[in-house]
Amino acid sequence: MKMYPANNEKGNVLICVMGVILVLSIIGATVLRNSTTRLNVSSNQVRAWKEALSAAEAGGNMAFAELRKQFSANSSVRASQWSGWTNSGTTYVSPESTFGSSNLKSRTVVETCYFDVSGNFHLGANPDPNANSWYRVRSRGVSVLPGLKRTGMDDALINEGRTHFAAFGSTAMKDITARGNGDSLLRKIDFNYDHFVATYGRSWDDPLTTRNDPVAVGGTPQISRRIEQIITPLTPFFDAAIKSAQTFYGLGSAAQIDSYDSRQGPYAFVANSPSDPRYSNSRHGNVEIGSSTATVKGKIYGDVATNGGTIVNSSQITGTVDNNVPFTLSDYKMPDSTSWQYEPAPSTGNGLAYQLPASFSGNKSLTPRYAGSVDAPVYYVVSSFYGALIVNPTAAGTDTYVAIHVTGDISGGSAGITVNPSVHVKIYFDRNVDVKNNNLINQNPTGANPSAANLQFYGISPPRDANGNPMWTQTINLNSATPSTLAMTFYAPSADIILNGNPDFIGAMVCKTFYANGNISWHYDRALNSEGQLLDFRIASYIEDTR
Amino acid sequence: MSRLGLRQVESGFTLAEMLIAMAIASSILGLIFTSAVALQKSFTAVDNYFGAHMQQIRIVDYLARDVRRGLSVTSSVDKQTVTIKIPKYIIQAGDSDATVSNIGTPRSPSLAIANGDYNINYGTPTSTVTTVVYSVNASSILRTEDGELTTIASSTDNLLPETVDIELSNTEYTTTAITFKPISVADRSGTVVYSTAYLRNRRRSF
Repeated sequence: MKMYPANNEKGNVLICVMGVILVLSIIGATVLRNSTTRLNVSSNQVRAWKEALSAAEAGGNMAFAELRKQFSANSSVRASQWSGWTNSGTTYVSPESTFGSSNLKSRTVVETCYFDVSGNFHLGANPDPNANSWYRVRSRGVSVLPGLKRTGMDDALINEGRTHFAAFGSTAMKDITARGNGDSLLRKIDFNYDHFVATYGRSWDDPLTTRNDPVAVGGTPQISRRIEQIITPLTPFFDAAIKSAQTFYGLGSAAQIDSYDSRQGPYAFVANSPSDPRYSNSRHGNVEIGSSTATVKGKIYGDVATNGGTIVNSSQITGTVDNNVPFTLSDYKMPDSTSWQYEPAPSTGNGLAYQLPASFSGNKSLTPRYAGSVDAPVYYVVSSFYGALIVNPTAAGTDTYVAIHVTGDISGGSAGITVNPSVHVKIYFDRNVDVKNNNLINQNPTGANPSAANLQFYGISPPRDANGNPMWTQTINLNSATPSTLAMTFYAPSADIILNGNPDFIGAMVCKTFYANGNISWHYDRALNSEGQLLDFRIASYIEDTR
Repeated sequence: MSRLGLRQVESGFTLAEMLIAMAIASSILGLIFTSAVALQKSFTAVDNYFGAHMQQIRIVDYLARDVRRGLSVTSSVDKQTVTIKIPKYIIQAGDSDATVSNIGTPRSPSLAIANGDYNINYGTPTSTVTTVVYSVNASSILRTEDGELTTIASSTDNLLPETVDIELSNTEYTTTAITFKPISVADRSGTVVYSTAYLRNRRRSF
């Protein structure tokens, strides 16, 4: 019998096995692909969202660094401020910077601004010639999403039937209900358009319209985030009538410290009149003491702070007493004067009207031939200041800015200065001041309502020896003489101040130690908050625009 | 003999062969079906896991964003409700200063001096802050901004948020832990996402 083997059935088994393996492989691969793709897309969007904020904050940091270039000891750094930025008036727009391994982009707008006496915001430079400007810094950070235009895995998790983005050109709010849910709501991914520019216009990003790109940003998906920061100038006399880094004694038992705002008119005592519109500015006669050695006397319409002190007469203090406020004062150095309008001293005598002798002891009436400016005052250097100096404006009614560097002492029975209307004087002294109160006369804008910021004294800190100790002691003696109304500021963080007599004092003092035993009427001018030598900047506010 | 041989060639499968073949085929089909179901379950589980993980991240990102721009944070004792005060930056319909043309635009700041420091405020004369509340409702995490409710995460699995706020002299930070406990895998202790966020602004008291 002949038997036929069933050879024609071998292939079926192989095909079946191959088919099974193929089907299983396809299912497995699909599972892996779907899972990893969706996770990767979502993870990538999370990364981009976080990095976009980093880019925006990097833009803000770059703006802050540009602002602070003016404090650099390196002249080339100072000269490079705003290099590469687009400038129009008091607004600066950075070029679009690309950085990082993810090609992050940032663009920053710096707008000069100020706040008026009511705290209202205004764009532009501060009109007060003695005051410093603020800055509003708006920065946008962009992170590009590589790959295809894929939504993440989160939008489908909560399906409430909403659309993901506001309609083109719509400013309808509450836009949070119009922007979908899940990650679309939070991260606002731009697949075709920058949703922010499309909805709100591009003036936020670029008020100068230096960009030429349309609303469409191209085919690359991206995430953009925007922050706004307000940068405040740090000034010497912020919210304190007296600031002493070490010991404090004063004032007389019948003295008082209160405050007012010269921008609202002349001083008047309203600290006990809550209905007076000036009342809110009347109780900021604050005293800050950086040590525990504090003898506080007299009435204080304001707050008192010490570093471990014990204020025993706190019933005389209308504000708060905080005995845990340590602070230090850095040495003060002569500011850079290279851009100032230096006026050399005459070779002999008192020289011409616009000249100031290198050393003088008599009377001198000084009328600068230039008006100068806040940033570039007319600049004189004298070695000793023993006489009576009268400073006039370059022409009647013309604001004139004068800076005098006294490398020696300011002292003597007749030593003093008279600041006439329209004159703004800053005196930088290396050594000591020893003058009578009534020889310091400030008549700008008027003798009846002088502005303390128009006569500013700055004590240059003595150099330090190898052990870090000051090489000499710097003292400021303001001696009793009547009648006298002092309107001025002293910023002398290394000086010992002794104030004698019972003058009316308008202004503020910052010093190492403070002693006064007279019954002084001290009025802190709140206009000083932003006035005086610009020391640094600080970020006062941060907000993210989450539209 | 040849006829006998032909009959053998053309003959069908025996019952035993059929049974064996069907058994093998059934096993293969069963294997395919079981594998497909298992893989589908795996896909669903992985997808849910990733989805829940992304929700964990979204919750902490939401919270961190609001803390970063906030002025103060208060977390409840049970750590599941967080209240954040945020500058009222955008003009919303219904605000006292809202007009047809300015809705949706940012406000200009205003300045006040309080407690020896500059306070930059955004808002109307009567209200300078927006109150944002994060809370838990059943399986959903809710965010309420001045009464406007948004569900920012929702899962049939357990998402357990816990936030504490730590006050420092001038600032404040929050630490948040979002625990994900998949109910389909009872023996899992959970996956936790942690986050720490600091105020960018100086802390204020409200």
